[in-house]
Amino acid sequence: MPDEQTVTQREGAPTAPSRTPSGTGLELKSLTKRFGDEVVAVDDINLHIAHGEYVVLLGPSGCGKTTTLRMIGGHEEPTSGDIVLDGQSLLGLTPDKRPTTTVFQHFALFPHRSVRENVEFGPKMHGISKAERREKAMTALDMVGLGAMSDRKPSALSGGQQQRVALARVLVMEPKALLLDEPLGDLDRLLRLRMRVELRALQRQLGLMFIHVTHDQEEALSVGDRIVVMHEGRIEQVADPFTISNLPENVRVASFMGDNNIFEGTVTSHEGGRVSIDGGDAQLRALAAESDARVGQQAVVSVRAAAVQVGEDARDANGPNQLLGQIEVVEYLGDLVKLHLAAAGRRLVAKVPGDRFPEFRGREGSSVQLSWKEEDVRLLRA
Amino acid sequence: MSGSSGPEGRPGLHVEEIVEAEQVVGERAQEEVALGEKERTGARGRRALTTAAWTAPGAVWLLFFLFAPVLMIVLVSFWTRTVSGFEAVWTLENYEFLFDSNVYWDQLWNSFWHSLVIVALALVLGYPVAYFLAISVTSLRYQIALFIIALAPFWTSYLIRAVAWIPMMGRRGALNTALQEVGLIGEPLDILLFSDFAVTVAMLQLYILFMVAPIFFMLAQIDRSSLEAARDLGANAFKTFREVILPQSMPGVVIGSIFVFILTMGEFATVRIIGGGTVSSVGTIVQTQVASVQFPQAAASAVFLVLAMVLGVFVLLRFSNLREEL
Repeated sequence: MPDEQTVTQREGAPTAPSRTPSGTGLELKSLTKRFGDEVVAVDDINLHIAHGEYVVLLGPSGCGKTTTLRMIGGHEEPTSGDIVLDGQSLLGLTPDKRPTTTVFQHFALFPHRSVRENVEFGPKMHGISKAERREKAMTALDMVGLGAMSDRKPSALSGGQQQRVALARVLVMEPKALLLDEPLGDLDRLLRLRMRVELRALQRQLGLMFIHVTHDQEEALSVGDRIVVMHEGRIEQVADPFTISNLPENVRVASFMGDNNIFEGTVTSHEGGRVSIDGGDAQLRALAAESDARVGQQAVVSVRAAAVQVGEDARDANGPNQLLGQIEVVEYLGDLVKLHLAAAGRRLVAKVPGDRFPEFRGREGSSVQLSWKEEDVRLLRA
Repeated sequence: MSGSSGPEGRPGLHVEEIVEAEQVVGERAQEEVALGEKERTGARGRRALTTAAWTAPGAVWLLFFLFAPVLMIVLVSFWTRTVSGFEAVWTLENYEFLFDSNVYWDQLWNSFWHSLVIVALALVLGYPVAYFLAISVTSLRYQIALFIIALAPFWTSYLIRAVAWIPMMGRRGALNTALQEVGLIGEPLDILLFSDFAVTVAMLQLYILFMVAPIFFMLAQIDRSSLEAARDLGANAFKTFREVILPQSMPGVVIGSIFVFILTMGEFATVRIIGGGTVSSVGTIVQTQVASVQFPQAAASAVFLVLAMVLGVFVLLRFSNLREEL
């Protein structure tokens, strides 16, 4: 995986993340949180996060990602299960007693204190002397490029600057784990794109454990070493960004990550490592092991929008992994063109390079030939 | 991120990139400034006129009902008393009389301290109420319901509430009777009515809401996640209160204190009703002088009452920079 390489590359640096042996790091054990009798916000989660790892909890709102983060930070008590950091349970410890700090979604700066006093707050609470905490605060502020604004009140800063004060305020604490709750949610798009790169770089340089909660797929893919996809309080898949994006394990991950075309059908044959699936109007062929699909079984497969090839040449539209589609909407997104298509009684999405836009401009309503390779057909668990 | 593994190897965000990212924000702000300047030069007169129009009713109101009466009081305090009122003949007699009167100065001093004590009690008793309403109650619906209940005493007139103390607290009032029935006391307590104590308690009950309300509104504005952030950064519950909640509620504390101080300092009705004839205040002195048609004398007494209030407000304002914090 490309990410693993990046990690090992940096091991020479003094602050490089050290992949720690088991026993250290953060361990969530059967973590469960119920609100009242009805609502199970987090349902029996097991997860290990190593020091120096950037993990993203990703999912739609209400999937339990924020509750999980809040339980790690001590802002919510689990109903059952355990949270263990470096062999020690954090249960029962109030947030001020935990070696974790949180960047809150709306920054949660202290409006009555200057930028520097905001950053000094943590060290002050830990009884660090005035001179020392001032120095720490200024170092942290320089780190985020705000040294010159230390005397301003937070209200005099832009959103991006406030975000950086919030970061400096937790970095100065030198926590064992940095928890980020939708940290970029309040920023406008341009700043968000910039800040996620900054976050990634910062995490690499500090070698800290970052746990980042977001509902934004692209953001998750951009920053994470590993992504934990959550749905209704459960973990659906834990994997590196490449795997999450290209090899979703089940329907929920495939549909949440977006731009996956999902087909359902019956397995009609299975020979030589290939399965054929009869999806009614669509015939699919995929590579799969014997154990994954048996003849006669129902199967769900997904094809990434980027794997769909769009051409004009009228080949046999009824062959496996081929469909005749009608263009409904042509969406030009700069470096790519997203085609929204109707084919075989369903909606499909295809992505083609942006330079092909002239070819499709104004072509709504016309038919195109769609095809994809059998290795791009991913057999999903239901 | 070319600089991320640079020779210094110092962790950090890169200023050039930040500057670049902030440029959009900056440009937008510049446009706004440019717009603002255009508007200022073009329509400055019209805007000034609009501002004046909006402030006019308030200004007229203040002029007639605050500045004019105060000016009148100051003038009258230098005029001569006649049998039926006063005439516009300059004199310092009223002040001479005042400076000779030990009773007046004792009373002014008493009222001043009394008011400060009530402010302190209202703060000590009112802050927890405001805190409970604003911070502890997390449901907005309960918050509003409880606040309306707290306001309930204001549904009746202030005088009725003061008068209601008599059947409640009198020698044969509800409280004394109940205490006797339970057997906690043998003889009725005289202190509950027509006493300094009774006046203090009654004023506290009548005015505590003027303390609770401003504190409540300041506390309700505090971002709850900033409290979580404080806990997260190592503050325990007490330090979170001292370092984050209390400073942010100070404007409410000061405004509430000014309300209670001003209102109790000039009090005479409660003193009359609850205190009976046994308790007096600067307010009752002024009222007695007015009742006996000694307007210039009353005016002179009132001038020093106002000065004492201004002094009190000035002291209270030292505790918070309202203009900056509100």
